[in-house]
Amino acid sequence: MRGFWPLFKRELLVFYATPLAWVLAFAFLTVQGLHFYALLASIASSPEVSDQSPLQAFFGETVILYFVQFMLVIPPLTMRLFAEERGRGTIELLLSAPITPLALVLSKYLAALLTYVLLWFPTLFYVFVIARTGYVDPAVVATSYLGVFLAGAALLAVGTLCSALVRSQFLALILTAFVILLFFVGGLFTFLTKDGTVAHAVATHLSLWTHMMDFSSGIIDSRHVVFYSSATIVPLYVTTRIVDGWRWA
Amino acid sequence: MLLTAEKLEKRYGAKVALAGIDVQVAAGEVLGFLGPNGAGKSTTMRILSGVIGADGGRVVIDGHDLADDPIAAKAALGYLPEAVPLYPELRVVEYLAFRAELKGVLRKYRVSYIEEAMQKARVTDVAYAPIGTLSKGYRQRVGLADALVAKPKLLLLDEPTAGLDPAQIVEVREVLRGLGPEHGVLLSTHILSEVEAVADRAIVIDHGKVVAAAAVTELRAADPAFLIGVSSTDVALALLKPFAGRVVATVAEGGAVRVALVAGSAEGRDGVAEEVVAAFVGGGVGVRSVVPERPRLEEVFLALTRSRAEQP
Ligand SMILES: Nc1ncnc2c1ncn2[C@@H]1O[C@H](COP(=O)(O)OP(=O)(O)O)[C@@H](O)[C@H]1O
Ligand SMILES: [Mg+2]
Repeated sequence: MRGFWPLFKRELLVFYATPLAWVLAFAFLTVQGLHFYALLASIASSPEVSDQSPLQAFFGETVILYFVQFMLVIPPLTMRLFAEERGRGTIELLLSAPITPLALVLSKYLAALLTYVLLWFPTLFYVFVIARTGYVDPAVVATSYLGVFLAGAALLAVGTLCSALVRSQFLALILTAFVILLFFVGGLFTFLTKDGTVAHAVATHLSLWTHMMDFSSGIIDSRHVVFYSSATIVPLYVTTRIVDGWRWA
Repeated sequence: MLLTAEKLEKRYGAKVALAGIDVQVAAGEVLGFLGPNGAGKSTTMRILSGVIGADGGRVVIDGHDLADDPIAAKAALGYLPEAVPLYPELRVVEYLAFRAELKGVLRKYRVSYIEEAMQKARVTDVAYAPIGTLSKGYRQRVGLADALVAKPKLLLLDEPTAGLDPAQIVEVREVLRGLGPEHGVLLSTHILSEVEAVADRAIVIDHGKVVAAAAVTELRAADPAFLIGVSSTDVALALLKPFAGRVVATVAEGGAVRVALVAGSAEGRDGVAEEVVAAFVGGGVGVRSVVPERPRLEEVFLALTRSRAEQP
């Protein structure tokens, strides 16, 4: 893991020295705030209709909103990681330095993951407001955020891989967005397939939609955790192989 | 040997970029790495720095095989890529601090190493300028400071003066001349005067092959010739007929004949000169002067690379 810290620090510095992170944070928190406001307004107008807790609604019901958020936040966070270094030629500086490919991949990935976590951090304020107005189950809060974290970790890993696959940041952005879209469209098949069929089981297993519903109900299904762990580790492993392969190309 | 590279081969599809290149650099030596554009200099540099892999051959840096122990081998080298890629958003000191840490320079040495590298590369006056705002000459020297910052034993510099104006070239060459004793340097260039100015020894490559390897002074002495000022060039040329096969005679400017030894001949230049002058005097041609021609490296270089091109 030689070289991890300097790379990780530089990656974070770049995130916060450029407008990208701040624009993302502003847009993300604005949308989340509106979403939250709309939710509170609807609950206030018809409190008896909803059979869900406000928190469940915030994290679970509006899964489509999640996809929009994932698609808008994750590809820009990962697109430049490798594509920019290759486009600018600075990758030569990294490949000729005494560092391991694993340190290179993990430093970049973890910097993106930390930024992602920091983006979500202020939403705790909304949860705090909901807790002031009604009952909030701490376990549900914890599992909801776990779901957001695991899904983000996996999609960021996919984005990191996409960034290593192409030299153009824009292509990396599009590619990552398409993979996220694929997850979403794949999730729709849970509604199109019959319960009990293999197709349904597969669709359910892969559907971010189903996963988020479970997480936002306070359920930690070990299958979901395994799914996200492998969806994180496999792309990162492949990325490391690709980066190592540049030495032999 | 600080650097030993043996039989480096590299293909890009059907194109052979390197066809078995051998390079050796001793500690403290500046080795010029000459070749026309497209000869394979940058490809060799990239292989030596571990940026790309070779299809064949072996690289050992400071006793560490680059393939088996890349970390140890890379820790001994500083590399200046031809395009001098840098991070434009960083300030010069920030960039060098990042690079020093990345190359494993211990915290307690970092500040002094960075200052020393900036001094050697003459970029101290722009220490706090964002790299993106610097001129090409400064960026080149920031790249040089980066290569120097961890005090590597081996420096791989790929065309460090390319694209600079004459004043900047002079500055960079001055920096390069100072590198000799502390570092072993492999300096690639397509400009011969650069090698004459800073290198001890040079190897010349063309079409991915080494075509000459010698001390700079020896390279210059290759293919010897001399100019003889005579009273009649016509008679002189006629008198040289018996030497056919040993020398090539041509008429030069100012009433002189240029007598060049046939390439590859083992004869000494001075011995031949004496014979030729004796023949002239014996044939009634007045000899005004005999001047050994010291061909510039440019001519040697052209001769070497041309002869290779003619025998495909
Ligand atoms: N990435 C590449 N893909 C295809 N051909 C390449 C590549 N890099 C270099 N070459 C070819 O290899 C040969 C050597 O190139 P290079 O090492 O850059 O030469 P030099 O640095 O001596 O000018 C050239 O003919 C060049 O076109
Ligand atoms: Mg080149």
